Amino acid sequence: MSAEAPEGTRRAAAQERSGASSAGAPSSRPGRRPGRGRDLRTAVLFLGPALAAIVLLRLVPFAGAAWSTLFERVGVGLLAEQRFAGFANYQQLLSDPLFLGTLWRTIAFNLVINPVQIALAMAISVLLVQRLPGRGLWRVFVFVPCTVPLVGSSVAWGVALRQDGPVNGILTALGLAPQPFFTSPQQALASIALVASWIGIGYWMLFLIGGLNDVNRELYEAASLDGAGRWRTFTSVTVPMMKRPLLFVLVADTVANFVLFVPVQLLTNGGPDQSTTMLMFDAYRRTYTYSQPNLGATAILILTLIMLAIVAVQFRLLKEED
Amino acid sequence: MAVHQSTRPTIAANDRRPAPRRWVGTALLTLLAAVIGVAFLLPAVWMLLGSLRPGSEVIGSVSPLSWRTLVPDTWTLDNYGALFGQLGFGRSLANSLLVALVSVLLGLALSVPAAYALTVLRFPGREGVFALLVVGFMVPFEAIAIPMAQLFTQWHLDNTYVGLILPGIGNGLAIFNLRQFFRGVPSSLREAAIVDGAGEFRIMTRLYVPLSTTALINSALLIFLGQWSAYLWPLLLVSDQEKQVAAIAIARTFSDTEFNFGQMFGGALLISVVPAVLLLLLQRYFATSIASSGEKG
Repeated sequence: MSAEAPEGTRRAAAQERSGASSAGAPSSRPGRRPGRGRDLRTAVLFLGPALAAIVLLRLVPFAGAAWSTLFERVGVGLLAEQRFAGFANYQQLLSDPLFLGTLWRTIAFNLVINPVQIALAMAISVLLVQRLPGRGLWRVFVFVPCTVPLVGSSVAWGVALRQDGPVNGILTALGLAPQPFFTSPQQALASIALVASWIGIGYWMLFLIGGLNDVNRELYEAASLDGAGRWRTFTSVTVPMMKRPLLFVLVADTVANFVLFVPVQLLTNGGPDQSTTMLMFDAYRRTYTYSQPNLGATAILILTLIMLAIVAVQFRLLKEED
Repeated sequence: MAVHQSTRPTIAANDRRPAPRRWVGTALLTLLAAVIGVAFLLPAVWMLLGSLRPGSEVIGSVSPLSWRTLVPDTWTLDNYGALFGQLGFGRSLANSLLVALVSVLLGLALSVPAAYALTVLRFPGREGVFALLVVGFMVPFEAIAIPMAQLFTQWHLDNTYVGLILPGIGNGLAIFNLRQFFRGVPSSLREAAIVDGAGEFRIMTRLYVPLSTTALINSALLIFLGQWSAYLWPLLLVSDQEKQVAAIAIARTFSDTEFNFGQMFGGALLISVVPAVLLLLLQRYFATSIASSGEKG
């Protein structure tokens, strides 16, 4: 212990030496580990890059955005100046029916799309863990779209759902009326959901199949001995055993879909009639199209706070698995 | 029921059903699985075949609807020729690859020591630092991208590779998973290494890293895929075509040449190839460590 690394030596050398010093007296450890000071120094060294990254890439921009929500822009273009405005931006946003509509739409979209995506992913996972002919092939088929980045899915469905596109071609061939999809306020958001779900369902299926394979076989055997049918086995064995993976993918899906941006920006521009404007796109449009950076930052702040709350839940779920 | 229990105690439920009914059930379920599989695959096949026909035929072949809507009567590689020729898509793909790979290297160089320190060292505030890193980096950087883009522009990092790379290097799940794995390494191994005179850096690189390849591959994949599919960030940060990544290059084709769907499909498929290969090869590393880790640990 007396050989505790002296100050002013090179860090690597200090590490080596203090390592050796504790090696000299490994038995002299009554509960407390040797070299708390050394641990702290190593911690600073090892955690430094990550901490610097989180400060520069998360905290500083967040603080900057938070600060700028307290100001408003006066004037236009290069002559514009920032003037302290207190909570005026928050008042303006939260009394703006368009913004409140956006907020509500974002939340409603997530309350629908995430459970639906996970429920479908779960249903398909349960189907594709059964011993069926060609099971591996069907799995790969469902999985293929999730290798397509969101921008690719947007392009595909942007064309497929055109007025003169193949989906309407199929509807017409079936004797049904062609649908407007992205150009209708009633259908645009659902079409956006389709863009996200085509690639999302297979992705979450991957995790759920992993979870299903981990469920103890004996539980199924016990259920079958008790005479439980397929549905009963599903509700009494599969779902309870899958609670954690299901919750986890549900929250992770929500994190991803809360900032859904690509199809909105590429396909609908928030329209028609604001019907696809969600928080992320709203903040983008306020900042870059409407030149209202302070209001944009206010929207960003609200979005980030909601995200933080969701991620905190996700973190707790992860920790629980310890 | 009772008879079965006493005579064949480990037989699964299905085997108790009369054979013909079970056969029908399996057939119906297989049919359902096939229909679902094909429904998911079909749009991708349609894109692939659409990229191999003259661009105007993608929509032109819809009416009347026939098998020709899907399968080209004229096959051509012109779309790919245009993508790699005048549209300069090869350059964008190379940019995406460069950004994603460097992000993986830097991301691991940042996450591995952090996770290691948070596993083996005792210091005040350890759990707090852990929560800060994981939660902070789990908030998708899209959420904070707009103010960050303004900062990066002030720092003159707009239109630079460094600017594209930096936001993607921190990944909360990567740090979490790495620590989770490191905790599984028996501490007696580390103590033995300390007795042998090894320093922390050596113990980390020679002992913990080789024992945690699954978590490393998983972290690398998370970082890679995050950067490969990034859209908002390069959209905000990069205006220079030379530095632009593939995802934005495709979006640009979408608005510029509104009617050449063949080229767009080709581009969309090209950016899917890399993640497809990675995910199909490394699938098991990807799925194991997140959702199901708790069931095993």
